[in-house]
Formats: sequence, C-alpha cells, structure tokens
Amino acid sequence: MSALVLEQKELNEPLERVALERVWKRPPGFIGWITTTHHKDIAIRYIVTAFIFFALAGILAFFMRLQLSFPENNILGPDRYNQFFTVHGMTMMFLFAVPVMEALGLYFVPLMIGTRNVAFPRMNAFGYYTYLAGGILLYVGLFLNIGPDTGWFSYVPLSGPQFSPGKRVDFWAQMITLTEIAALVGAVEIIVTVFKMRAPGMSLNRLPIFVWAQLITAFMIIFAMPAIMLGSGMLAMDRLTHVSTHFFNPAEGGDALLYQHIFWFFGHPEVYIIFIPATGFVSTIIPVFARRKIFGYTALVLSLISIGFIGFGLWVHHMFATPVPELGQSFFTAASMMIAIPSGIQIFCWIATLWGGKPQMQLPLLFVLGFIALFVLGGLTGVILASVSLDLQVHDTFFVVAHFHYVLIGGAVFPLFAAIYYWFPKWTGRLLDKSLGLWHFWLFFIGFNLTFFPMHQLGLKGMPRRIYTYAYDSGWANLNLLATTGAAIMGISIVLFLINVWRSRHSGVNAGPNPWHSPTLEWATESPPPDYNFVYLPTVQSREPLWDEVSPPVVCGLSNRKRESLITTLMEAAPDHRYELPEDSIWPVILALVVGGGISWAIFDPWAVPISALLTFIVLCFWFWRGNEPASLTHHVQSSEDLQLLKSEANKI
Amino acid sequence: MTARAVIDVSELPSATMDHRSTIWWGNLMLLCIETMMFALLVGAYFYIRQNFYEWPPPKVHDPPAIYHAVPLLTVPTINLVLLLMSCIPMAWVDRACLKHNQMSVTLGLVVVILCGAAVIIFRFLEFHSLLFKWNENAYASAVWTILGMHLLHLFTGTLEFALLLSWLLLKDMDVKHARDIRVTATYWYWIAGVWLVLYAIVYLSPRFL
Repeated sequence: MSALVLEQKELNEPLERVALERVWKRPPGFIGWITTTHHKDIAIRYIVTAFIFFALAGILAFFMRLQLSFPENNILGPDRYNQFFTVHGMTMMFLFAVPVMEALGLYFVPLMIGTRNVAFPRMNAFGYYTYLAGGILLYVGLFLNIGPDTGWFSYVPLSGPQFSPGKRVDFWAQMITLTEIAALVGAVEIIVTVFKMRAPGMSLNRLPIFVWAQLITAFMIIFAMPAIMLGSGMLAMDRLTHVSTHFFNPAEGGDALLYQHIFWFFGHPEVYIIFIPATGFVSTIIPVFARRKIFGYTALVLSLISIGFIGFGLWVHHMFATPVPELGQSFFTAASMMIAIPSGIQIFCWIATLWGGKPQMQLPLLFVLGFIALFVLGGLTGVILASVSLDLQVHDTFFVVAHFHYVLIGGAVFPLFAAIYYWFPKWTGRLLDKSLGLWHFWLFFIGFNLTFFPMHQLGLKGMPRRIYTYAYDSGWANLNLLATTGAAIMGISIVLFLINVWRSRHSGVNAGPNPWHSPTLEWATESPPPDYNFVYLPTVQSREPLWDEVSPPVVCGLSNRKRESLITTLMEAAPDHRYELPEDSIWPVILALVVGGGISWAIFDPWAVPISALLTFIVLCFWFWRGNEPASLTHHVQSSEDLQLLKSEANKI
Repeated sequence: MTARAVIDVSELPSATMDHRSTIWWGNLMLLCIETMMFALLVGAYFYIRQNFYEWPPPKVHDPPAIYHAVPLLTVPTINLVLLLMSCIPMAWVDRACLKHNQMSVTLGLVVVILCGAAVIIFRFLEFHSLLFKWNENAYASAVWTILGMHLLHLFTGTLEFALLLSWLLLKDMDVKHARDIRVTATYWYWIAGVWLVLYAIVYLSPRFL
C-alpha cells in the first residue's frame, strides 16, 4: 500500500499542534466538564472517586476496629456493625479496587499504545457515571440506616426474602448491577483499544506488560462479571414482591448452594481482576528503577495468561465447608495450588530483574518491595487455605480476614501506591514529596502489619469473623487492641498521603516529561499530556521505545479538522484505516441517569424495568442520531481565513 | 521545520465494513458477555434440576393436575423456525451492504423487522407453552428467565434495525452505516443461533434427557 511507504517529510509541528488543540478542546465551563469524553478526564474522575470511596470504607473499617478494641464494647452495636462491615467490603471490592485498577488502564492504555483516545469515548463516560450512580445508591442506603447488612457476598438464605425483609439487600443487589455495568464497559473499552488502536509496529509481542495485564484483566471481567450480575439479579427477583421467583428457595426446588456457586464463579476471578493489574504496575516499575529491561518478558506474559485461565477454576475453595463432592474438592485444591506456580514465576522474574540491574531506591520501588514481602506472606496463607483439612479449621475466622487483607492490601494497594508515586508526575507534571512519601510508606507498612498480623493468631484462637463483640474471658482482647492501634497508624499514613497529593499537585518539584527515564510511550509526550495525547502518533520498533538509540518515524496524514485516530491490524499493528472519534456529548450522562434511576427504582417496583428500558432506547436514539452528524459540518469548519488565523497563532508559539 | 521520517496515512480509508473496525470487536465482546450470561443461566437450570425427582415438576398448584408437565412444542417450534428463517433476509441485507445497494438494504431491513416483530409476538404466546407461571417453582423461574432474557435481545435487535432503517429512509447510506447494519446483523445471527441451543434445552431436554 502506498500509504505505508516511509518517506522524509517537512512537518510543521506548531501549526499541527494549534489545529489539534482546537479540535480536541472541550467546551468551556460546566457544560464542557459534564460532556467530556476524553479518556484522561474520565479516568482521573474514576481515580479520584475511587479514592473517596477508599477513604469512606477506611473510616468504616476504623469504626469496626474501635468497636472490637475492647471486649463487650458497644460503640456501634450489632446492627450498625453489620451494615459497616458489609458496606466496607462492598466499597473496597466494587467501588474502589476494581474501578481504580481499570481506571489506571483507561488512562494509560491509550497513552502506552500511542493513540488519541479509547475506542468508544462516549461509552467510557457512560461507564463512569453508572459507577458513580451505584456508589451513591449504596451510601444513600447506609446514611438512611438501611444499608445492606448481610456481608459483601450476601449469602442466601440470610439475604433471601424470608430472613432479610425490607430493602437492605436490594441496595446491595442493585449497586452490584450498576458497578458491574461500568466494569464491563471499561473492559470492552480496553480490549478493543488494545486490539485495534496500537501504534504502528507495536505487534502483540511488543506490548508493554502493563497493557498485557490490563488486557487479560479485561477478558476476565468479560467472563466473570456476568455471573454476579445474574446472581444479584436472581436474588433481587427472588426478593421482589409480585415477582417472587424461587431460584434460591429450597421449598420450591431452588438451591442456596447455587447462589454460592454463581457468586464465587465471579468472586474468585474478582481477586485476580484486582491483582493482575497490580502485577502490571510492578512489572512496569521494577525495570525502570533497576535500569534494565525486564527479565523474562515472555514468561511473565504467559504467567499472566495462565493466571487468567486458572483463576476460573478455583471458586469452590471458598465453599469447602459446604457439601461439595470430595473429588470436586480435590480438583479445586489442586487448581488452587497450581496458581501458585505462575505467581511464583512472576516473583522470580521480578527478583531476577532487580538482581541483574542497579536498583535505585525511589518511592515507587519501595512500595513494590513492600508488595513483594507482604504478598509472599499472603500467598503462603493462601496455600494453607487451599488445603481442605486446614481450611475447615479456620473457615470463617479472623485467619481468613488476615489472609485476604494480606493479599488485597499487600498485593494490590501497595502496587497501587507505587503506581501513584510513579505516575503522579504524568498527571500533574510534578513529583510527590519524598520525605512525606517515606513517612507514608513506613507508617502504612508498620500499621498494616500491626493490624493484620495478629488476626492470624486471633483466627487460630477461634475468633470468628463478623462478630460485633466478644467476651472478657475469650483471651482475644490484647491482640484486638493491637490491631486497632495498627489501624490508627494506617489511618495517619493515609492522611499524610492525601496531604502530600494535595500539596504536590501544584507546588511539587517540577518533573519534566520523563522524570524516571522510563521506556514506555506515555512518557513520550508532555506531562500532563495534551487532550490529543500526541501531536504525531508514534511508531515503535521495540518493547522499550524510549530506550532506543534512534527515534522511529511518526505517523502523519491524520485529519486535524476532526478527532481522528489510526486503526491498526490485530497482530502486527500495521496501519489499516483512519477512525473518526466522536465529539463531546451529554447523552452518556443522561443515559447513566436513566439506567441508574431505573435500576434504583426497581428496588421498589418491577415496572421500573420495562419503563427504564424504553427510556434507555429513546436516549440511545438521540445518542446515535446526534453522534452521526459528521463533525466537520458541526463546528470545525476550516476556511482559508481560518487557516491564516491558525498560522498566526502557531507563529506566536 | 526539519525533515522527519514519516508514515503518511492520509490515503487510508476512513472506515471499513468488517472485523477490521472497532465496533465489530465491541459487538463481539458484547456477545461474549451475553453468551456467558446464558451459559450460566443454563448451568443454573441444570443445577436446579438435581433437586427434582420429576423434571419438569408435576403441576399440582391448580387443576387440572399434570404429572409430566413438559412444555408444549407447537408455538415454540413455529417461532424457532420463524427466527431461523429471518436469517435469510438478514444475510441478504448483509450482502447488499457490501454492494452498497441502499434499495435492497432498505427492503431487506423491512422484512427483518417484520420477522422480528412476529417472533416477539409469538414469544409472548410462547410463555403459555411453559404451563407454569414464573413464581410457581424454581424450574418455572429458570425457564421464564431464559425466555425473558432472550426476549430482551429480540427487542434490542429489532429496535436497533428500526433505528437504522429510519436513518436509511431519511439519509444516505455511507460506509459507516452499512457497517453498523452489518454489525447488527452479526448480533441477529447470534440471537438466532443462541436460541437454537436454548430451544433444545428448554423444550427438548426434558423430553429426551
């Protein structure tokens, strides 16, 4: 094809920059803020919202620790305690961990693969607002004192119509539906963007490991999340008067264990949906600070893929205390142990990278090392829990609480903080303060271990999880007090972190475009990146494009009169066709309002479903119709005078 | 201004009509999600079956009592055939899109929409073939949900075609809209294909398994 010929050309970069600036600029004021479809705007909103929910769930957790700090304490009382631990778990899983991991992907995947936006920008915005609606719904419930109180997995029969009358559990079910819509939307965005919009030359075997991790996670979301949507939908139908199905009602042939199977078919992959992106951060950060290429790229990618598959074969190990056939139990024990192999391969690759490099002790690397230490501990208790006999001993005790906090905080929150220290300069152009960061790290590390290590022992001593208090002679008091002290220290460290972010975002040290001398494409543009990401889309010739001696050619010939990007082929990333991206749009917000409103209303009335479905169709008609007017006809008319104006603006630069 | 090595893409097409386009992949991912949903629903159906001696359970709530309450076949089978037949005009539309024949596409879409509407109407009658209401037992809840979820897709597909048809009647068919129609056609084939499997499970499996 003639288009693919490499040529030498004179490029007028200032002119191109001004033209792109005009096309990609969002309208001013509130209208622009609410209608934006830039992936970076949306992703930052996701991240900020997720951290607000993280703080809220942290406050709930701290209240739980206060309640448990002394025997026969009565700060919260049983009912509020139930609501708090349920909402804490739901928030951390559905409103913090999954969205924040996906959000980093939505921000960095387009930058790392060298394109201008995600594949479906309006749908991306819709995903964010749906997620927000789900979060608001949950907290409205909590503040009205009708928050869900049946635990984050909301087992039947406890959560069924007979034992949980009222609307509490329905808040659980509908919040799940909304946030899972958002997660699925994000997953489709990431998959299609990675498949079709990579920079020319970025064949799959040159994909940064961060992007691989996001891609595999997105596929896991596609195959795992439908389960929880189905399960929560069935539960909601079972509960709703006038519908009253019997999926989980044993009196009419339904089955409580069916619920557990459906829930954990989602619930176990969920752990990897949170953990795999975190390993993507780690694999990005380690080579940068070790100053060498990652050791074992292929092994790492294959490990991620096999975790993606094996992660679907583990769910029954959450159900060892139920009458599952013994042969089945053995299978799931074997699979649970097998997943330690790819996880181990990753850890060895990281250690080998550090071993062979010259590690520079910067904050991101410090958090990564904290991750490796804690995750190994959490992994060890994981191997213990994979064994049926041991699992039965500690089932539903604080040992399990300790285990999954080591895995989730150690395995996901530590890498997340590493990622924030690493990419903060990309978002703001400034570095986070180092000494405050060190305080944050050490207080968080010490506080975390003080909180959760004693829980192993509490569990072995027989303290069940989810009890709101315990007796004086139980012998659990000292360790509980220790855990509460640790929680306070963790709380202080998070406050320090938030202060650091708040102060550094305007007054931190100037970082320049590439403060860590990183090899990936997100550092090939300014910080923060312009709305169009790159003036000329890059091409790549290796896995570490910014560490190459020669700079590869750039792409030219894309329109600067409308929002246009380049579509490349699936495997080889050869240029294929041009792709017009949509303008800013109000319809995603309106659609999210309709969907969020309809699903919330369905808590009370089944008619909400057909009515909001009809409204959804009407909104989608507007979305389709308005979005199909060619952009060049609406407001980017470029006459010859216009061109003159552009040139004079460019000359000023 | 300095000369740089560039790849000039200005000659490349601005849209394609097949799996090279983003929306084709977006649609495929949607179908993965929906297929997973149905697979889990079918899993639930067979899981619940373990709790019954007789499947479907005897109908005893109100007379006349039926011991072996298998769903009736006539209406569902007519509807299955109708849905499968609708793939013929669909394929015709699909090919007309490739040839940019707006007239054929418009006519074909009208036929597909009429088929879709007919299938939807028959689907409402089909619920009576199940002999139970959804809230009578877990079996009934499962089969009603299977039929209902599929009905939702029938609505979506038919309405999508109605929207695309109104575009064709008011505007010209460009490559992008021809592609949209082709992508929606993929969705329609999936609706028909998945129903072939679900039909066998709901109507035939209680008879032969």
